[in-house]
Amino acid sequence: MIAFCFKRLLWMLLTLWIVFTVSFFLMRAVPGGPFDSERVLEPEIERLLQKRYNLDKSLAEQYWIELSNFSRGDFGHSFKLTDYSVNEVIAQGLPISITLGTFALVFALVLGLFAGIISAVYRGTWGDFMLMLVATIGVALPNFVVAGICIILFVFMIPIFPAAGWGNFSQLVLPAFCLGAPYAAYVARIVRTSMLDVLSQDHIRTARAKGVGPVRVVIVHALRGALLPVVSFLGPAVAGILTGSLVVEQVFAIPGMGSHFVQAAIARDYTLAMGLVMLYTVLLYSMNWLVDLSYAVLDPRVKLN
Amino acid sequence: MPANSRHLIGSFILLALLAGVTKALFFNSSLPPADFTFVNESEIKSLDPAIVTGSPENRIINAVFEGLTKLHPETLKPIPGLAKSWDISDDLLTYTFHMREEARWTDGSPVVATDIHYSMRRFLGPRTAAEYAYQAWYIKNAHNYSLGAKGIRAGDPVEVELNLPVDAINTWRGEIVHAKLLAVEQKSESDDQRVFVVEIDGKPVRYRPVDDEHAAENKPPANTRWCRQVLLDFREVGIEVIDPLTLRITLENPTPYFLNLMGFYPLFPVNQKCIETFGSPQWAKPENIVTNGPFNVEFRRIRDRIRLRKSGTYWNRDTIRLNVIDALSVDAVTTSLNMYMTDTADWVTEAPGPALRILRQQQPPRNDLNPAPFLSTYFYLLNTARKPLDDIRVRRALSLALDRKEITSKILAAGEVPALGFVPPGITGYESQQTAGYDPEEARRLLAEAGYPEGKGFPRLDILYNTHEMHQTIAEVIRKQWQRELGISISTRNEEWATYLASQRQMKYNISRRGWVGDYADPNTFLDMFVTDSEQNSTGWSNAEYDRLIAATGKEANPAVRMQLFQQAEKILLDELPILPIYFYTSKNMVKPYVRGFYNNVQDFHPLWAIWIDRESGETNEFMRTKGQP
Repeated sequence: MIAFCFKRLLWMLLTLWIVFTVSFFLMRAVPGGPFDSERVLEPEIERLLQKRYNLDKSLAEQYWIELSNFSRGDFGHSFKLTDYSVNEVIAQGLPISITLGTFALVFALVLGLFAGIISAVYRGTWGDFMLMLVATIGVALPNFVVAGICIILFVFMIPIFPAAGWGNFSQLVLPAFCLGAPYAAYVARIVRTSMLDVLSQDHIRTARAKGVGPVRVVIVHALRGALLPVVSFLGPAVAGILTGSLVVEQVFAIPGMGSHFVQAAIARDYTLAMGLVMLYTVLLYSMNWLVDLSYAVLDPRVKLN
Repeated sequence: MPANSRHLIGSFILLALLAGVTKALFFNSSLPPADFTFVNESEIKSLDPAIVTGSPENRIINAVFEGLTKLHPETLKPIPGLAKSWDISDDLLTYTFHMREEARWTDGSPVVATDIHYSMRRFLGPRTAAEYAYQAWYIKNAHNYSLGAKGIRAGDPVEVELNLPVDAINTWRGEIVHAKLLAVEQKSESDDQRVFVVEIDGKPVRYRPVDDEHAAENKPPANTRWCRQVLLDFREVGIEVIDPLTLRITLENPTPYFLNLMGFYPLFPVNQKCIETFGSPQWAKPENIVTNGPFNVEFRRIRDRIRLRKSGTYWNRDTIRLNVIDALSVDAVTTSLNMYMTDTADWVTEAPGPALRILRQQQPPRNDLNPAPFLSTYFYLLNTARKPLDDIRVRRALSLALDRKEITSKILAAGEVPALGFVPPGITGYESQQTAGYDPEEARRLLAEAGYPEGKGFPRLDILYNTHEMHQTIAEVIRKQWQRELGISISTRNEEWATYLASQRQMKYNISRRGWVGDYADPNTFLDMFVTDSEQNSTGWSNAEYDRLIAATGKEANPAVRMQLFQQAEKILLDELPILPIYFYTSKNMVKPYVRGFYNNVQDFHPLWAIWIDRESGETNEFMRTKGQP
């Protein structure tokens, strides 16, 4: 186990270096720089700005300076939010995105499990049909469309939630739901399939034969077995929710990582964009790592390595 | 581990996570509401007036700092700010400002002439790299000071800034040595190799500029000393402190809008003590910053909000009626409209086009929407360095075949005005010039004359625009109009913002969409864009007579003659058409009926200090009273 973790750590460092290098050169290969604006700068002023941010140096020199700063954990100052360092932006944005992501995940799991179990138990009924129809639509609709529909329904027609912003619980509900909805749909379909599979197995028949109540059969005996595929889906789901929040955060004006990332990319804020790319890399990598570890814990047949 | 305990642990972790998260949320929710909340578009770049540009920054900096003058919220005429009065010399070159005694910084110290002097030097200094520095180049010798080493010649009085230790606070200036420049030794073209020979007490001394790190680690070559930079002596720049409350500014040329510039946010004074205590950018943190304006910065949350609170030290605090203001940072226009509609915001600066169309048709007419023209133009650049756009007849044909009314009436929603000229109407004393309007007959004749009868043989040009629904629709309509009237086929090409700017700048386009908003109410802010060496002129067009006229306006003291020179210049521009004006923008503010002191004006500028909330009187507010578009 320790050897496995150590090896993964080494791979992570390598991944980070590759991601850094590719992002560094891609960012600078795209036309347009951080100082381009509608009003073209006077050449003298532009030269001074470039000098200040080391952009007057050769690409190799810049790469080396940046890489050595990053390896020390110094992400530098944002180009476009000059009052803040990249670390400060992340320190403010990350907790917000994590809060949003956690609630989205809870929505996805609660709704998905509930719908999946009901569908499986009452398979073939119109209830099953309706739930799976909704789930299929949920998978197909991107979250910004869900967001639009939710805003019309729950902000304007039935005004129970605020339109946007961040700060209290009611502002969290809609974005978390929109972010979680497609994953709820996935979870529902996964749970239904694996439930149906488990429900037809021998140990369930045995339990029923022994006179165990129908609720207990489903919740205790069947669900446990049906959960494994859901756990393996959690890795991609967490990744998806993290990156999916780019759009939802924009629509609901939430000051999380997603908003910062989109704006940094548009404005060619090299340092902030790079800091966020690296952070996303670490997050996604760690999530996959945790999922691998959890396999080993949940299913003794899985061997690490 | 038995399965049950595994589940138990899992649930515990989940619960703990949720509890922590919820606690964090409810901790935040205790924020008391503001008196006035508005959507300030994007997150501001900085609170440092010297280094920012852009409207969101303008709104905040105008609320927390104050300059020598400020602009009247309705007429935009300069009114007394830090200066209670001023004298202008007869040649219009010297301005003497008398500052008010009661002006205070938030740390309690008085705002004096040396503060302005310090701030202007900082603003112009090359190490500050102020993007708007050119707005102060009207001051005598300011341009040469800004240029650093490039602004000095042998014989000039210079100031040598000596190096500081590497760990010195980054806003400190090194020791200044005043001297006379004897010569610049330059082995190669590269800047690093320069050595400045200056005369100090009759002896020549050689200085070589390097950064502090280099100076600390290396010994200078023989007979040479290290320094940070060599600049024109700032005492040569036309800013002079007469006494603590009197400041004299001397200009290069009579500049009629100079008083407006002193009320323009990049030139606002900053607090030297604060900047030198904390260094940059820490001094601009809400807990450190020292300001002198009507409001203080209470806190900032990145891409969420800036909370402003009425200042207890502002000299004119009795007239400020808002106590707490929230400036929200919302990038999506639809989201900001949603916030306005659900009463989260009291003012949105831009309602999205499609929604605006519906809102303007409502009956009875809305009492919170009143689009009004302001100084800004939507136009197309023509790359005159490329064939066939180098042919004036082709450019004229393209303009004549444009049905601008179709665009403003069918596509645009806020009552935008078709533009036949480049300088928008609304500048006092200026008579707008016009190019010929829609005339397809004449357009076809000109195109045939240029060698493309009925569009035959005309190359397939493209229209470049930055990715935006509205620009795309306009480009499509124009494409169809040209196809219909001239028989030429044009394609459209969209690029994301920064890429589009780069293409435009490097002239990698045929026809490109462009917009321009005036910085001040004077034709110069539009017309000086197209002089030959302007950075903004990315059309390749050059006209000696045009350049001469624009240069002459700078020296002209008589306002009427000056305006005539501008009119002649615009006439040339519209005759040769390196650009195709399309329409003049209108403002798209939505302001709640209880918001008072908010006026429509020609720069779409709405200072927060003038605003108050009045939910009782039921009077029509100033915003709806000012004349808008039908």
